[in-house]
Formats: sequence, C-alpha cells, structure tokens
Amino acid sequence: MLIGISLISFFIMHLAPGDITASESAFNPKASEESRQKLRALYNLDKPLITQYGLWLKRIVKLDFGNSFASHQRPVLWETKDDKGNVTKGMIQDALPITLMINLIGLIIIFVLSIFLGVVSAVNQNRWPDRLITVIVFIGFAIPGFWLALLLMYWTGVTHSWLPISGLHSAGYEKMGQIAQYLDLFKHLILPVFVSSLGGLASISLYVRNGMLDVLQQEFITTARAKGLTENKVVYGHALRNTLLPLITIVGLSIPGLIGGSVIGESIFAISGMGKLFFDAVLMRDFPVVMGILTIGSVLTLFGNLIADIGYAWADPRIRRGITN
Amino acid sequence: MKILTQNPLALSGFIIIVAVLFIAIFAPWLSPYDPNYIDIHSILLPPSVSHFMGTDGLGRDVFSRMLYGSRISLLVGIVAVGIATVIGTFLGAIAGFYRGYIDSIIMRFVDTMLSIPTFFLILAVIAFLTPSIWNIMIVIGLTSWMGVTRLVRAEFLSLRNREYILAAEAMGASDFRLISKHLLPNSLTPIIVTSVLGIASAVLTESGLSFLGLGVQAPQSSWGNILTDGKEYIQFAWWLSLFPGLAILITVLGYNLLGEGLRDLLDPKNKNQKK
Amino acid sequence: MYFKYIFLFFVLLNLTSCSDKKEVAYNYDGTFNSEKGGTLIDAMSGEPSNLISMIAGDSASSAISGNIFNKLIKYDKNLELAPEIAEKWTISSDQKTITFYLKKNLKWSDGHDLTSEDVFFTWKLVTDDKTRTPYGSDYKLVDRAEVPDLHTFRVVYKKAYAPALDSWATLQILPKHILKDEDINRTFFSRKPVGSSYYKLAQWVNGEKLTLEASPSSVMGEPNISNLTSRFIPDTSSQFLELIADNIDLMNINPIQFARVIPSKPDLKNKLALYKELGNSYTYLGFNSKHLPFNDIKVRQAINYAIDKQEIIDGVLLGLGEPVASPYKPGTRWSNRTLHPYPYDKNQALKLLREAGFNDTNHDGILEKDGKPFTFEILTNQNKQREMTAVLIQRRLKDVGIDVKIRVIEWASFVNQFIKTGDFDAVILGWSLSLDPDQYNIWHSSQQKPGQFNFIGYNNKEVDQLLEEGRTELNPDKREKIYHAFSKILLRDSPVIYLYAGYGLTAMSKRIKGIESPTPPAGIAYNSYEWFIPSTVRRNEIAQ
Repeated sequence: MLIGISLISFFIMHLAPGDITASESAFNPKASEESRQKLRALYNLDKPLITQYGLWLKRIVKLDFGNSFASHQRPVLWETKDDKGNVTKGMIQDALPITLMINLIGLIIIFVLSIFLGVVSAVNQNRWPDRLITVIVFIGFAIPGFWLALLLMYWTGVTHSWLPISGLHSAGYEKMGQIAQYLDLFKHLILPVFVSSLGGLASISLYVRNGMLDVLQQEFITTARAKGLTENKVVYGHALRNTLLPLITIVGLSIPGLIGGSVIGESIFAISGMGKLFFDAVLMRDFPVVMGILTIGSVLTLFGNLIADIGYAWADPRIRRGITN
Repeated sequence: MKILTQNPLALSGFIIIVAVLFIAIFAPWLSPYDPNYIDIHSILLPPSVSHFMGTDGLGRDVFSRMLYGSRISLLVGIVAVGIATVIGTFLGAIAGFYRGYIDSIIMRFVDTMLSIPTFFLILAVIAFLTPSIWNIMIVIGLTSWMGVTRLVRAEFLSLRNREYILAAEAMGASDFRLISKHLLPNSLTPIIVTSVLGIASAVLTESGLSFLGLGVQAPQSSWGNILTDGKEYIQFAWWLSLFPGLAILITVLGYNLLGEGLRDLLDPKNKNQKK
Repeated sequence: MYFKYIFLFFVLLNLTSCSDKKEVAYNYDGTFNSEKGGTLIDAMSGEPSNLISMIAGDSASSAISGNIFNKLIKYDKNLELAPEIAEKWTISSDQKTITFYLKKNLKWSDGHDLTSEDVFFTWKLVTDDKTRTPYGSDYKLVDRAEVPDLHTFRVVYKKAYAPALDSWATLQILPKHILKDEDINRTFFSRKPVGSSYYKLAQWVNGEKLTLEASPSSVMGEPNISNLTSRFIPDTSSQFLELIADNIDLMNINPIQFARVIPSKPDLKNKLALYKELGNSYTYLGFNSKHLPFNDIKVRQAINYAIDKQEIIDGVLLGLGEPVASPYKPGTRWSNRTLHPYPYDKNQALKLLREAGFNDTNHDGILEKDGKPFTFEILTNQNKQREMTAVLIQRRLKDVGIDVKIRVIEWASFVNQFIKTGDFDAVILGWSLSLDPDQYNIWHSSQQKPGQFNFIGYNNKEVDQLLEEGRTELNPDKREKIYHAFSKILLRDSPVIYLYAGYGLTAMSKRIKGIESPTPPAGIAYNSYEWFIPSTVRRNEIAQ
C-alpha cells in the first residue's frame, strides 16, 4: 500500500515540469547550463525515473530520508552529527513539533467547542441560539484567514501591544526563566491557534448539530424519554454518544492533517512549520523533502483509518456485529 | 416548493441563491462600469457613490468586477462540488453497502488519492491543459471527492444493520432500491454539510489555481482572485478583501439554509415529525 | 459572550505581561555624534540557506555573508571598482594578467592570518568540478593562478577577459586553514562561518532569526552598530506591522506602503525615514523571435510604440520607477545617455503594422495578415507587478488591434515548460542591470541552446561582434564606446521592450543615523558600517 502510494506520488511529482536547477539559479547569467547539468547528475536527476525511485526506495526502507537538494543540504528528517560534533538539525524535526502543537491544541479546541455549539444548536433547533451559532460559525469559516490574522495582529499587537505580532519567541527568550519562557510561547501561540481553529468550527459543529437532530428522532431516544430519564441524560448520555459516530471518521481524517499547516497562516505569523516547508519544497522541486513529508503523511493516513475503524466499534456495537458477521 | 413556503429559512436561502444567480446572469446590465476598464488616475479609491465598492490597483471598479466575478465563482462552486459529490456519494455508497472486498478496494483507492499531493497533480495537469474554467472545475471536482466518500461509507456502515434496512432486505428489495430509497435518504446530512462547505472551498481553490496558471486568467475577475489581490493592499485598501469575503460568506450561508430545507424535504426521518 | 471572554482574556494577558513594553516617546530629531553599540533589527522574507556564497543561490544568503566575508575588490558608492582587501591591482599590457596586492596584517576572525594562499584556495574551490557551485565558469577562464608571495595573487587568462575584474569583485574569500580538509558541499562551516569582514555570526535559530556581532579583528575596522539581527518573516504585511510596532528597524517596502500608507499617517512619518534608490533590475517584454510575426523588426517596433511605459510606471509602481533605454543602470558610464525609450505613439504603431502587412480586413477590431488575426499570449510568473503590467499592455495593444492573452505560471513550470522549450510568444520578465557591461550570455546569437539565456532567439551579427570585442577589451573608455553602440542597436531592434526599472524602497526607523544623503548610486546600504544608533534612542534591550 505504502509502496503504491509512494510510487504514484513519485511519478506525479516528476510529471510536474522543472527540477531543483530551475528554481535555484535558472536566471542568473553567471550560472552556466553545464553547472546545472552537473547538479542534475549529482542528484541522479538524469537517470530514468524508475531508477530514481528504486534509489529512493532503497534508502527509505532503512528509514533514511536523505538530504535536501537545497544548497543547505540539511537532512530531511532527523539531525546528523559530523566528525567534529556539529549537529545539523533535520528539517522535519524542526518544523513538525510546532505544527503538531498548534494543530493539536486547535483540534481539541475545535472538537470541544464544536460539540458544545452543535448540541446547543440541536437542542434549540430553529430558535435564536441555533441561528446565532450557525451564523457565527459560518462567519468563522468564510472570513479570509489572512484578513482576520492581520486585523488581530494590528489590534492586539500594534495598537495595544497585548500580544506579540509574529514569530514564536520574544527577543530575549534565551535569557528568560522557565516559566517566563512558557508564558512567552503561550502568548505567541494565541493568535495562530485562534485563527487556525476558527475555520474548522463550522463543519464539525454542523455535523454534530445535524447528527444530533437525526438521533433525537430515533426510537431509542423516545424510549429513553419515556423511561423518565432527565433531558440532560437523554441528550448527553444517549444521543451524544450516537452522534459522535460520524465524528470519529472526521477525527480519523484529521490525523494526517495534523502534520500539515496552512501556508498562508504560517507565513503571516512567521512560524516555520510544515505547511511552509512543504510549499517551499514543492516550488523549489526539492524532491527528498516532498517525498519525506508525503511518506509520513501516508503512514498517518493509514493510521488514521485504523483509529476510525476502532473508534466505530467502540461507539456503535452494531458495527462490531456487522463486521464480524 | 411547498417545503420552501413552510420553512422561512429555507425560503431565505432559496432567495439568496436565486438573487446571486440573477446577479451572475444579468451582470452586464447591472454593472455600472466595464469590469476591465482601467483608469490609472483613480487607483485604490475607497468606496463612494460613484464606486460602490471602491476601485482596485488598476483603477477598475470593484463592484462591476464582483458582479462579473460571481459568474465564475458560482459556476466553479456548483459544478466542481457537483462532480465531487456525485463521485464521492457513488463510491461511498457502494463501499458501505457491499463491504468486504469492494469496500477495501475503494477505500484503499481513497487513501491513495488523499496521499497524492494535489498540488503536484495540478502542476502536472497545467503542462498539458490550457487554462479554462471547465478545466478548473474538473480538476477541483476530481481532487476533492474523497471526504464525501468516507463520510457516506461511514453512514452506510452504521445504517446497514438497522432493523428497517434488514427488514426491507428480507422482503426482497433490490440492492438499488435499498440504496436509493432507504440508505441514501438517511445519509443526506453529511452529504449536504460537506457540499455546502465544499462550495466555499472550491471558490477559494479557484483563486489558488489562477496563481498556478490554470485558473481564470487576467483580466477576468472572480471572487477568489479579487480576494487574493486584496491581500497585497490590505494595509491600505480594506475594501478589496472585505467585499469578496462578504460575498462568499453570504453565498455559503444561502447554500446552507437551502441545504437544510432540502434535507427536511428529502430526509424520511423528518417526515413523522411534521404534523 | 464568547467575544467578551476573549476580550477579558486579552486584558488579563495585558496585566500579566508586566511593564516590559512602555510606550516611550523617543526624540529622533537633533544632531547626534556617531557612537558604537546598539542593535539593528531587520526583517528578511527568506532564510539564508548557506553562508558560503559560492554555493548558495539565494539573496538572503548573500546579504548575510556579505557582512562576514571580504572580496579582493569591491564597487564603491559611485559603482566604480575600488580596493577591498587588495590595496591595489595591476593589469599587464597584453591585458591577460591581473595582479592583486593584498593589504598587510589581514586576520580572520579566529586570529589566523589571511594571505594570498587563502585567495588561491578559494579560486581552487570555485573552479573545482566537485564543488556544487553554479558560478564557476568565470573563474575557469583563468589559465593559471599564482601566489608569488603571501601578499600577492596573480591570475593569467588565456585571452583577455574584460568581466574578470567584476568576477573578482563578487568572489568572497574563504579561509584555507579551516576548509582545506572539508567537503565544501556538506561542511558545517556553511552554518558556522569564520570570516574577515565587519561582523561574525553570533546566533542562528532555524526559522526564526540570525544575529551577527561586530568582529573585533575585522580587517575593515570596527562598525558602529554592534549587533545586526535579521528576523525571518515571510509575509511582508506582517513585516510591516512589526515595523510600525517598532519591533524592527528596517525593511524593504512596496510602492503602496511608500507612497500611500506611510505618508497618510503622521505617527509613522515621525518615526520612519523613507529612502528610494534605483533598483538593480529592469522589467521587459521579450518576444520569441522564432515565432511569427515577431521575427519582423517592424512588428516589434510597432508594439514598442504602442505601449505607454509611463502609464505602467504610474499605475503599477505609483511613479516609483524609471523608464530605461538600455540594459544598464541609468547614471552609470555604460548607460548611453543619447538613447531614449520609444515614446507612446499609437499612429506610428499603426503605420508600422500596416507596413508589416497587418490590416483589419474584416473590421472586427483585430488586425489580420494573410487572413490570420494578430493574437498572441504573454506569459509571466507569479508576480503581482508583472501581472498588472501585462493587463496594461493588453489594453494598449487592443487599441491598435492586437489581441493579447495573459497567462501566469508558477516559476519552475514556467522555466522548464516554456522558456527551455521555446514554446512561448512573449514573456514579461526581468534582467538585472549588471554593473559589468558584458551581456554576452543574454544577447549573443550562440547562446540559444535550451537552458541558455538568449531564449528569445535574438540574432544580430553586428551585436555579436560588439559583444565579442567588449569581452576582450579592459580599457574602460574603449569598452564604453563598444557598449554604447551595442545599446543603440538593441534599442533599434527591440528584441525586448524595456518597460521599467523600479526603485528599491526602504523604510527605516529614525533611530538609525549616519545614512548618506542624497542617496549615492550604490544605494544607502553601501556605508551601513558607518550607521549608528545614539544610545538615547536605543531600544531598552535589558527589559526584553
């Protein structure tokens, strides 16, 4: 499976015109075509595609993600040490933690808030809280992220200096104490996390709301109500659990997304995360980096499916029955 | 139609969409200016009586460009999402209904599609296609159906063993009948939600594609590219980002309201609720 | 209610963020004496990839490494060649041998002596086939290099090569004692350089910032400003917010910010100084001479007359640019003052098009020749200014009956799919306004193979000959004549239409003093080592 995905990705990647030599020095009259040919040979870009893929596969099974084609030649995945003990950090190693942190916090916020908003909407179907929530989440979804980000940066950073404008650390970060460092990081994360989560609220809260409405009409809810359970127990105990089912698919779908960041968001907040890393690598045709990120992405996709399947079984005993039948 | 008159919200959604369609169709008569008329002596004017939504970096009337842009944005949204929804629902239904082998094959295909970098796919496509709106819609449609498939399949899996489905099956209903009469109508919720949100994403994806050389090419306008252009001027000309953003928001809200009405109409579970 | 909580949250944060950021009303006016110390913070859109400049291809890298390493010679503020670590140089009478005499007592920042051995070593590196550099070709023309003594470096060319001096004004000298046993392509030196110039690397945080500190053993003397910090902020809108929040001191701005945003806000005008200087490149519309009808000089000239360059400068650059009539920086000796851009003249354009055989026979507003309408496609890469330029050109050409389509393409595809294959009608691109006049690679008819730079297929025997002559003539006065003649033919032939040369625009905090006014031809940055920050207006660095 993974081999199939990587093979297809590899070929599609090479179908797109251009290679690293087109982006680096293509338009510098001082750079000669011979030196570009030399580079191509150095990176095996002159070999047939299938040979290139074979070489890549041979490395990747040993978990060797290789080095970037860019002139810094940094390792794609993890740090290496030269014989003098100088450590060069891996590109994914640098970018992944920060993206993962923002996305995880964002995902938790999105889910918690969405479930809350969705349930409130469903319980108050077609009354004003429902309408208000719908309008708010849609504004959040449709508002251009860059616009909101710059507006908030201006308001909280320039007019009021409540929050830092961009980056992840303040100028004197190294000299701060442990707690001050955490607080500093926290302050830098507020806006990026807020802006990146806002867009996700709409879809999930709508799924919850509509799913909840479906469930609330089913017989077992009527039964539960007839049994004399309190409305809260009916809603949160019985209905919510059944609503969460399709949500598990979404959680599964979100797992590969955890390592992807938004290019625009990361550029605006000057956070060097995975989104910008991938985008730049694509534009530069830095193939090892692209393939490295794609490989990790596919592994996570498969992993996400597993989670989703397990989650189903947990949430809905009928499926367990269905699958084992 | 009855459902529209009964449900004021669905009605308002319907009205919004009809209004936007009206604008798109009659843009040439509604526009106060030629959308491509350049006037470098009046660049970046704020909204005023003569330029309702201000002017852009080349002095073109943003209002007229928005009106014309609605044609492309509406078309791209509806057609691209239409393609994605049809493919996604079809494959998802088959996978969820037949399970087993067929399910595995379809879902592995979905995984593969999800893992392939859309971005490169588009770059590869550019090399062979010339820019046209139809190509944009097909490209967006063919690369965005996977989410629908997964959701429909999930819904089918959960509905498949419900008593009423099993009963219908026992009574000898054909597969086609089971899917179209019983399972599909009960799975509308995720389909509608994804489609509605998909329309908005498609409008934005379109502007991304113009940057890659496949989308709408200058001087034609679309909401997406007016918005992207606006980013350049954000410190000075807020109106260039605000109006396309608002237009996208209103249209998406309209679709959502309409979608809800549609769901009420088609979803059998709602029928017993109606008095 | 949710908004209220957010608001409350900000208020709380504000309380917790103590008093580290008081609004201080600095007084930037008055006269200050130069003094040492302080930190200048600027913003960069990209992160440097490699501080060994012969290997790096990006501008961020050369901006940083230029502060760390020295060259033999340099361009001074009037863009004339001047000594840097070579105190003088001589050229033999046959123009084939150049001898550089290094200054005495040069030191690397780690204390080792810098000698002509290092220069020789650097030359060896850049010409070594194993070195991953795209810039080797100029130096490979050196037939032999010699080190007669530790202060002398001599190069002998097979035949006289005029751009040689320019090439020695760009090659940054690397330390032999550190690099002699290293693999230059992989060495950690690229992230931990040891140089000889004003600054040395103090700190580099990936994806965040890079700090240089004044090097006490600098061979150029000590700079006034002690620390230079570059923050990596990809988005220019965010950079601008950081600038107006006074978190950075210096950034390149765009015409809107220069002409509209800052002048309209008094508080910004008070704390920011604006500088404009002639940029280093020009933008052109280039025709594929191998495609009909662009092989016809009359068609190219007609289009040149039909395009209103001033309109493009006013509309796209808000007036912040200049028209050019030759591929050289206006004001330098290579730029031919007698040449003027084609004026906007619609009738002349129509006349030339008629002479070329184009007429609107079917009265649809588009000209035809042999029954085929005159329509072509302009390609350009993702660059807002070029796209707007294309739209303006489209409109003007429509006026004379030429139908233009515009297509914007991502860079790598653009280069490989269209430029290399020659599959295009016309492009909008830019070339640099080079300091050395040699442009053999761009205009000589032999340079048309895929991947070479005469991709427009320009072909003129006279120009070929002038370019060959100019390459072997080291006498500046004779060269000037050659290149003035070359520019004249180029303008007449119009293989490309010069559209504009945009200004480089800089906004700088007024706390930075010592900037030369009026701006010299080399730009404000040429004497950045003399800039200073008076201690009374420095940022409170301890509180941060």
